[in-house]
Amino acid sequence: MAERVILAIGTKKGLFVAEASKTRRKFELRGPFGSGVPVYSAFVDTRNSPNIFFSSCNPFFGMKVMRSKDLGKTFKETPSAPAFPKDDGRALANIWSIEAGAAKKELLAGVEPASLFRSRDHGDSWEMVEGISNHDHARKWQPGNGGLCMHTIIRDGNRVHLGISTGGHYMSEDGGETFQASNSGVGAGFTPDPYPEFGQCVHKIARHEDAPGRLYMQNHGGWAEWDGPGGRRPDIGVLRSDDHGKTWRSIAKGLPSDFGFPIVVHPHDPDVVYVMPLEGATRTCPGGAPAVWRSETGGNTWHKLNKGLPRKSSYFTIQRDGMDVDTLKTPALYFGTTTGQLWMGREGGEEWECLFDSLPPIHCVKATVV
Amino acid sequence: MDVANPAPSITVRYPGTLRTYTRGVSKLMVAAADVRHALDQLERDHPELYRNICDETGTVRQHLNVFVNTENVRELSGLDTKLAPGDELTILPAVSGG
Repeated sequence: MAERVILAIGTKKGLFVAEASKTRRKFELRGPFGSGVPVYSAFVDTRNSPNIFFSSCNPFFGMKVMRSKDLGKTFKETPSAPAFPKDDGRALANIWSIEAGAAKKELLAGVEPASLFRSRDHGDSWEMVEGISNHDHARKWQPGNGGLCMHTIIRDGNRVHLGISTGGHYMSEDGGETFQASNSGVGAGFTPDPYPEFGQCVHKIARHEDAPGRLYMQNHGGWAEWDGPGGRRPDIGVLRSDDHGKTWRSIAKGLPSDFGFPIVVHPHDPDVVYVMPLEGATRTCPGGAPAVWRSETGGNTWHKLNKGLPRKSSYFTIQRDGMDVDTLKTPALYFGTTTGQLWMGREGGEEWECLFDSLPPIHCVKATVV
Repeated sequence: MDVANPAPSITVRYPGTLRTYTRGVSKLMVAAADVRHALDQLERDHPELYRNICDETGTVRQHLNVFVNTENVRELSGLDTKLAPGDELTILPAVSGG
């Protein structure tokens, strides 16, 4: 079959699937699936014949994991969803991330309250990963405005990186059995200590497999004006690590704001990284003029990509999983807004067009080529 | 009447969206002296349905209401509300919008 671009779009009212040929001239929209129920995470598993998974966050009847074996034409609920042990005392409030595990049928799910679950049978059954879910810090993490969520799961050989809001960055070097807080250089603006051991409001972490040891982080920035205990904390919002997340340094200089949610790496060039700066106070586009900012130097310099985007009167938010990039030779970038528009930026974000302008508020966008 | 194994005489009703977890059956009969034991029986006999009604801690999900006949158990004795043969236990989503 010729290459197809698949977009899994999680919204406040269910999941949509958009499909196009590799020219991306016309996207066919299917859905909503899990109709009426918020979707915060989606994952297209291309390890074998493609399966699409998404989490359905039902406020009435609890969390479900849905699976499609036909590229998003039909979905069926998996036999079970992640659930805490009965005597744990915690109850699942949301599923924020679904990613591939190490084994062929293994899946990992990051949930709220922040914990990690593993499925060894493609979502049919789930077990809690004790090493992080019952970490000594786990009962000390505090929920941010979005809840206490584990939103990022990155596997890198025997390393596993987790992003927790509000918990910070945790890393395992033994395949996910044990985890350590690893936040040296990751600032926090909402505690008197500007660099605590843990408790940072990490928004998203990204990596590229061709740059071993390098990670990019969108952290909770917007603290440049703080003049209380601990002093000012400019530029703590966009960070980079070159030692597998052991230490982090700012790469926010040159951006209009160091606040934002998503951070995305170009699929073919680890030096190319994208962010969507937002005003810290409002979580909306600076000046009402949305723009993606791209660095082609690993964060040393940035420039604005806004050709085709509105130049005024646009006050939406892009949530932490609301931006992604496909993997075609000349990739396109995508972002979904809280006002229901799905935008595509051809040529790596050089020129933007609105693919769909009236979807429900968008929580996540996952782009895959199958 | 066999006190240890009373006949199922409590009717449990639930929203149509949950019938997918009971093979399309629209109501169930349970034998229980109070609401807690009625839910215990659902957990044992219909675990997929139960997971939609209660979370892992055994708490009725926040946005669901449980009625005995026409009374919300929140206004009675909660999960300890007594049941009598012939009672109807109805589980409904709370009103919401947006």
